[in-house]
Amino acid sequence: MKRVITTAASFATAALLVVGCTPGSSGDSGSSDSKSFEFWSFTGIDQKTDVEAYKKKHPDINIKLTEVGSTSETAQALTAALAGGKVPDLVLIQGDDLPKFMQSPDNFMDLSTLGADKMRGDYLDWVMKQSTAEDGKIIGVPTDVGGMAVVYRTDLFKAAGLPTDRDQVSKLWPTWDAFAQVGKQYVQATGKPFLDNTPTSVFFQAVNQGTERYYDAERKLSYDKNPQVKAAFDLTLKVYESGISAKITSWSPGWTAGMSKGDFAAMSAPAWMLNAIKTNAPDTAGKWDVATIPGGSGNWGGSYLAIPKRAKNPKAAWDYIAEMQSPEGQLNNFLSKGNLPTTPSVYTDPRLLERTEPFFSNAPIGKIYTESVVNIKPFYIGPEDATIGSELLNTLTSVEQGKVEPANAWNTALTNVKNALRG
Amino acid sequence: MLSPAAAPKATARPTRNRRIQQGLRERLAPYVYVAPFFLLFFVFGLFPLLFTFYVALFDWDPIGERRYVGLANFAELVDDPRFWGALRNTFSIWVLSTVPQLLLALGVAHMLNHVRLRAATLFRMSMLVPYVTSVAATTIVFAQLFDRDYGMLNWFLGLLGFPHVDFTASVWGSHIMIAVMVAWRWTGYNTLLYLASLQTVPRELFEAAAVDGANGWNQFRHITIPALRPIIVFTVVTSTIGGLQIFTEPLLANPVGGLTCGAARQCQTLTLFLYEQAFGRFHFGYGAAVGVALFVMVVIVAAINYLLVTRIRSERP
Amino acid sequence: MNPASSTVRRAPHRRRSSDQVPLVVYAVLGVMVVLSVFPLYWMFVVATTDSATATSLPPHVLPGGNFFYLAGLVFDTVPFVQALLNSVVVATSIGVGQALLCALAGFAFAKLSFRGRNTLFLIVVLTMTVPAQLSVVPQYLIMSRLNWVDTLQALIVPGLVSAFGIFWMRQHIVGTIDDDLMNAARVDGATTWQIFWRIAFPLVRPAALVLGLFGFVNAWNDFLWPFIVLKSPERYTVQIAIKALQNNRDIDLGLAMSGSFLATLPLLVLFVFIGRRLVQGIMEGAFKG
Repeated sequence: MKRVITTAASFATAALLVVGCTPGSSGDSGSSDSKSFEFWSFTGIDQKTDVEAYKKKHPDINIKLTEVGSTSETAQALTAALAGGKVPDLVLIQGDDLPKFMQSPDNFMDLSTLGADKMRGDYLDWVMKQSTAEDGKIIGVPTDVGGMAVVYRTDLFKAAGLPTDRDQVSKLWPTWDAFAQVGKQYVQATGKPFLDNTPTSVFFQAVNQGTERYYDAERKLSYDKNPQVKAAFDLTLKVYESGISAKITSWSPGWTAGMSKGDFAAMSAPAWMLNAIKTNAPDTAGKWDVATIPGGSGNWGGSYLAIPKRAKNPKAAWDYIAEMQSPEGQLNNFLSKGNLPTTPSVYTDPRLLERTEPFFSNAPIGKIYTESVVNIKPFYIGPEDATIGSELLNTLTSVEQGKVEPANAWNTALTNVKNALRG
Repeated sequence: MLSPAAAPKATARPTRNRRIQQGLRERLAPYVYVAPFFLLFFVFGLFPLLFTFYVALFDWDPIGERRYVGLANFAELVDDPRFWGALRNTFSIWVLSTVPQLLLALGVAHMLNHVRLRAATLFRMSMLVPYVTSVAATTIVFAQLFDRDYGMLNWFLGLLGFPHVDFTASVWGSHIMIAVMVAWRWTGYNTLLYLASLQTVPRELFEAAAVDGANGWNQFRHITIPALRPIIVFTVVTSTIGGLQIFTEPLLANPVGGLTCGAARQCQTLTLFLYEQAFGRFHFGYGAAVGVALFVMVVIVAAINYLLVTRIRSERP
Repeated sequence: MNPASSTVRRAPHRRRSSDQVPLVVYAVLGVMVVLSVFPLYWMFVVATTDSATATSLPPHVLPGGNFFYLAGLVFDTVPFVQALLNSVVVATSIGVGQALLCALAGFAFAKLSFRGRNTLFLIVVLTMTVPAQLSVVPQYLIMSRLNWVDTLQALIVPGLVSAFGIFWMRQHIVGTIDDDLMNAARVDGATTWQIFWRIAFPLVRPAALVLGLFGFVNAWNDFLWPFIVLKSPERYTVQIAIKALQNNRDIDLGLAMSGSFLATLPLLVLFVFIGRRLVQGIMEGAFKG
């Protein structure tokens, strides 16, 4: 079959000569010298700061940073590039998208040949496991983990007669049930919804607080049997039915508008989301605070840096990883941008513990978020995790939109996942 | 004077080769002129079309394995509610956009055909403005106008005392929203097509009718519609084939919907489903199977078109 | 075109009453104009106001003074100038290519006799209805084999000819060019190419221009195929740049609207000059059953 395509290709080249174009003339303008490399990232994570810091230290290095799109769009663009096309030298892959790429590790450089084997001890073990292939090849170096917390509006809490102090607020909701109770109190006092939505703010948190997600310990699909998934799902329905949700889908225009207008008083926020809130609702500086997440520790998100095998300048890309993702590098990123390090050695660093965030009423975000990841119970993330997760989330969104009865939601969700896994 | 034939004879020998060459070149010229089309058509049109049928027989992961599965993709497709959902959505959006659009275009064309109409060029040109506006831009604007919380349309509904409608969330709401985008873009274009056809109708026909006391509506029914029948068939066919290709609107209308146009795939069209499978999930084989299904539909539409056109022809005196 | 005079002759006393345009017609047409133009106006309003006013109710209906700030953000977020340039390159190449190549092929089909002409023309007509969408998967495979993924020629080359364009040019050449003229030129020793280039093409230039303009507008607004093959921002066309702006979750809607407006503006400016021709083109290209 290759031959047929090649034949077609040569016809095309002939056609080009007819119309007077030169093939490939504008095809390869990537990094060819050893001083520059191309870096694909996604939006909302702000790799610019790191890139600028690195460039400042190494003025001779030229980094071309591209924010391709959302996390899944970046993964799609990477797949397309790996399938045929110009690949970047360095690429950021979101944790749930990584397993898909781990299925064909030959598309990437084995980073242990570049020095990752010496660094692996620096990172949280369960995070590193996700990016290590069965034969020991290291495909990605983790950049951050998504420790969990809830952010809330102190001004709105106050108006509703709720406590505003973050420790007191955290004590209000040791469990998700207690959280729903607080929400109800708020709704009763103000007549306004409490939470942005339940699929993201409850389900995606709760399902990540378990010991097992959509695959079991044998790496077999178990989303339909795992009681923890069902429990998180039912919990979400229960919170929804308690009537505290504003039913505004995360990342919709209404969501960003609602954030600044106070259409809801609380939302779940993994460490990497703090930045999004800051840029989306700049007028609300100082009105937010951060409390612990109900239900114990968990991780949502977190990303990896990888180098495609066909990269033109893997060395320069690796130097960047080695420097910026060292414990010190990750700490610096945290101090400036708030992405939570994956290197436990800095979790006790006073600079991390003392880091407060003025936008969020000077909350000690280092302390809050690291506490949510140190006790984590790691689980296996498989190639279909992203698909399953988004189908479950979508079904719960349909429930919020009144299109699916809560009573039928679980069965609908299972059917949707089953359909999504075909093809 | 020698015979006139002698002169060419004298010069024949030295230029003969050149003439043959030139003759050859002249005979080949037509083929060279049509060659670019056929070359490009073969490489980027016909070959991919045939190749789609081939790819559809595989489990084809562009960065992983490729496995022959026979007709399994088609069996899956027939069994896949997402496919039937996308088919339903495509059809519904097509009906919702095409029918009002063409009716409106007919009416407006009839009005634009008034011989004494002032500022005719202005009217014609402004009706073509949506056509030059890009679909991506159109979609973003309309999505904002239809927004649940801050859209202007819902604001009007609120003023009239109606509750806000979450257009993107419901099946009908999202279909209507997308149909409005499609209709907005193409109504003016189709109006001009109808107008052009109308202008070939002898004006005396309308005048005679007016003299006989026919009002505007009767003129419209008995002169305009019959005269436009061929062009109406043409626009129905083109908008059907266009309808099968609706992609950008459902992709951008629901910014959080990703490739599914919403949580319940409520407005995912066939082309968007194809894209999701092929370039979102990288199931090239399954995506190609959707392509084959689309092809079958195009053939059906073309066949219906052919039947209609021949019927119209034969009906003519 | 002289319909009025015939009316005068036939029914002079009737003329006024039957030809007077009722006010309701103006009213309806006026509404149509407003509906056609309002979304663009609204785009401009949101593109010039800040995020708070863009989501305020009742809506602000007057433009604000924020356009240059937002436009600056657009240029910061995606390489928008580059995207404009890419769109110009792609759309111009396709417009010019279609005008020339379709005229050439249309000329061959209209005026030259050669073996297989009818069959080949039938193929052209048959391909008019097959949308390219359904074979995007193999098209992508071909592009990646050619190493054309993420290049502009992946957009340009397949768009250089169009079956409809050939059909359209053939119709025009049949209708415009006299066989006697061609024969006379041939007797004078002109080659086929000379006949095309010196005689036929100049005569059908207006039709070719219209075809090229439509090719330009369609290429400018094309979305799916560029969305599939273009990967890096410096290759984006404006349509893909708009999508990238919409994706940028950190900043609000005003950004996407500014991008949309900036992407539409060049075509609107162009439209002021070519609008008449486009209108004329659609009306001339009307289906002749």
